[in-house]
Amino acid sequence: MIILLLVLPLLTALLMLLWPRIAPLLTLLSAAICSMLALQLLLQISEQGSRSWLLAGWPSGLAISWQADTLSCLLILLSALLQLLVGLYAFATRVRDKLKQGFWPLSSLLQLSLTALWLSRDLFNLYVCLELLALVAVALVSLSGRIAIKAALNYLLLSLFGSLCYLLGVVLLYGVYGVLDIAGLASQWQTSWLSNSALLLMSLGLMLKAALWPLHGWLPAAHAAAPAPVSALLSALVVKGPLFILSLLWLQLASTEQAQAMALLFAAAGLAALLFGGWSALRTPYAKKMVAYSTVAQLGYATLALGLMLKFNQPLIFAALWLFVLAHALAKAACFLAIGEMSATLGGKRLTILKGASQTMPLAMFAFAVAGGSLIGLPPSGGFLAKWALLQGIWLQGQSLFWPLALLLATLLSAAYVFRVVVLAFDRADPVAPDFSPQLLPQWLALLPALAVWAMALFSEPLLLLLRLEA
Amino acid sequence: MAELSHPLLLFLVTAATLVAIGVYGFICGPEPLRRVVALNIISAGVFMLMVVLAYRSNGPGAAYFTADPVLHALVLTGLVVAVSATAFALALLARLGQATAPLPTEQETEQETEQETEQETGQ
Repeated sequence: MIILLLVLPLLTALLMLLWPRIAPLLTLLSAAICSMLALQLLLQISEQGSRSWLLAGWPSGLAISWQADTLSCLLILLSALLQLLVGLYAFATRVRDKLKQGFWPLSSLLQLSLTALWLSRDLFNLYVCLELLALVAVALVSLSGRIAIKAALNYLLLSLFGSLCYLLGVVLLYGVYGVLDIAGLASQWQTSWLSNSALLLMSLGLMLKAALWPLHGWLPAAHAAAPAPVSALLSALVVKGPLFILSLLWLQLASTEQAQAMALLFAAAGLAALLFGGWSALRTPYAKKMVAYSTVAQLGYATLALGLMLKFNQPLIFAALWLFVLAHALAKAACFLAIGEMSATLGGKRLTILKGASQTMPLAMFAFAVAGGSLIGLPPSGGFLAKWALLQGIWLQGQSLFWPLALLLATLLSAAYVFRVVVLAFDRADPVAPDFSPQLLPQWLALLPALAVWAMALFSEPLLLLLRLEA
Repeated sequence: MAELSHPLLLFLVTAATLVAIGVYGFICGPEPLRRVVALNIISAGVFMLMVVLAYRSNGPGAAYFTADPVLHALVLTGLVVAVSATAFALALLARLGQATAPLPTEQETEQETEQETEQETGQ
C-alpha cells in the first residue's frame, strides 16, 4: 500500500506525457486514490503505532529507511487532499486562466516528492526528495510564462544553493559517523565541532529553502508570480517540506546542549518573521503579494514553536508546531484560491480591485475571511487551536510574560492585514464591476479548505492527542 | 573518521577551496549565469569531499585502505541531480534572455537572437 502511494503519482505523471489529452483526469484520479490510501494508512498507523521499512531488503546502514508515524501520515493525507482540491480548481478554471498543460504532470510529481519526503528517514534520500521538490516547484512557478521567469530563476538558484549547503552537512556527518539514517545517527551522536558545523550548514540550507526569516527574500516574488493553483500548492505544502526535515534534525538528532544553544535563535527568527512579514503584508499594494508575505509571517509561528520546543521540550508545543502547519496549509490554500479567483474575475492584481467584493463575489470573499480568521487565530479554527496549544505550552513552563505578549502583537498584525482586505470588500458604495459573471464552482472549491480549517476545531481533541503522542 | 595522511589533506584543502570559491562567486555575482557556474563549482567541491572521505581505513590496524562504495554511489546520484538542475537553470536562463530583450546583457541576447535567426534561416 505504501508503495502505491508513491508509484501511482509517478506512473500517472509518465502516462500523461504519453497521453496528454486525459492528463487532468489522470491527475485527479491518482490524487483521489492516494487520498483514500493515505486515510487508510493514517487509521492503520494510529491504531497499531508507527511502522518502519528498510527498502529493497538491504541490511540497515545500507538501505534507505522509511518510517510512517502519525505525523507523516497526517501530512501525506493533507498533501493528497490538497492536491485533489487544487487539481479540481485548476480543472474548473483551466480554459479561463489558460493554464498550461505542464501543470498536470508536474503536480503529480510534486505529490510524489512530498510523499517521499514525509516518509523518508535517511539524510541522503531526504536530499534527493528536497531537490526533486525544488525542481518541480520551480517548474510550476515558471508556468506563468514571461512574468515569472525571473522569480523562478532566483528561486531555483537560491534553492540549489540551499540544497548544496544541506548536502555538505550530510557529507560531513557521513564522514564522521558512517551512517545516514536518522535513528542510527541519533544513537551515536556526539557534540563536537564537526557535528555542530554539519547541523548549522544543514539548517542554513533548509531555512533558505523553507523561506524562514531572514532568508525569505525569494518567496513573495516567486509565490506571487505563479498561477493561483500553483501558489496555493507552493504556500500550503512545498515550504513545509524543508521545515519537516529541520524539525527532524533538531528534535531527533541534536544533543541537548546544541538544542539549547539554538533554541533562542530559532524563536527570535520566528518572532522577527512574524513582525516583518506581517508588516510587509500590511504595506504591499498587491493582493497575491500580501498573501505571500502572510506565508512568511505564518512560517514564523512554526519557527517560534520549534525554538520553544527545543528550549522547553514540552509535547504541547510540538503539537502546536504541527497544528500551525496543518492549519496554515488549509487556510493558505483557501486564501490563494479565493484571491486568484477574485483577481481573475475582477481583473487586476492590486488590492483595490477587491473593493465591494463582498457584494460581487460573496463566496470567495467568505472563503478568504474564514481562512483569514484562522491565520489570525480566531476561534473556532485550526489557527486558534494551534495558538492555544502554544500558549498553554508556554504557560505550563513558567510565568514569563514575554512570549505571550509577543504572540499578541503578532496576532494584532495579522488581524490588521486580514481586516485591511475585509474592510475593503465591505466598502459596497462603488464596487468594482466583474469583467464577466463570477463562476460558482471555483468559489466553492476555494471555500472548501476554509471550511476544513473550521472543522479542525471540531476534531481538536483527537488531533492534539495524536500529535502529543508523537512528541 | 579515517586518519588523514598528507596527500588526502591536500585533496581536502582543494575541496574546501573549491567550495569557498563557489560561495564567493554565488554571493558576489549579480549575473545569473555566473551564479549557475558558481553553484557548479560548489557542487564540484562537495563531490570531491565525498570522494576523499570514501578513502577510509579498513577497520583498526588494517594495513591498506579501501574505498567506501556507499559514498561513491552517493556521488553518482549527486552528479545526476546536479547535471539535471544545471540543465534546468540554463533552460530558464535562455527563456529569461528571450523574455527580456533590453537588459544589461543586451549584447549577449542580441548575439543569441542573431544565432537563432541564422539557424532558422538555415533550416
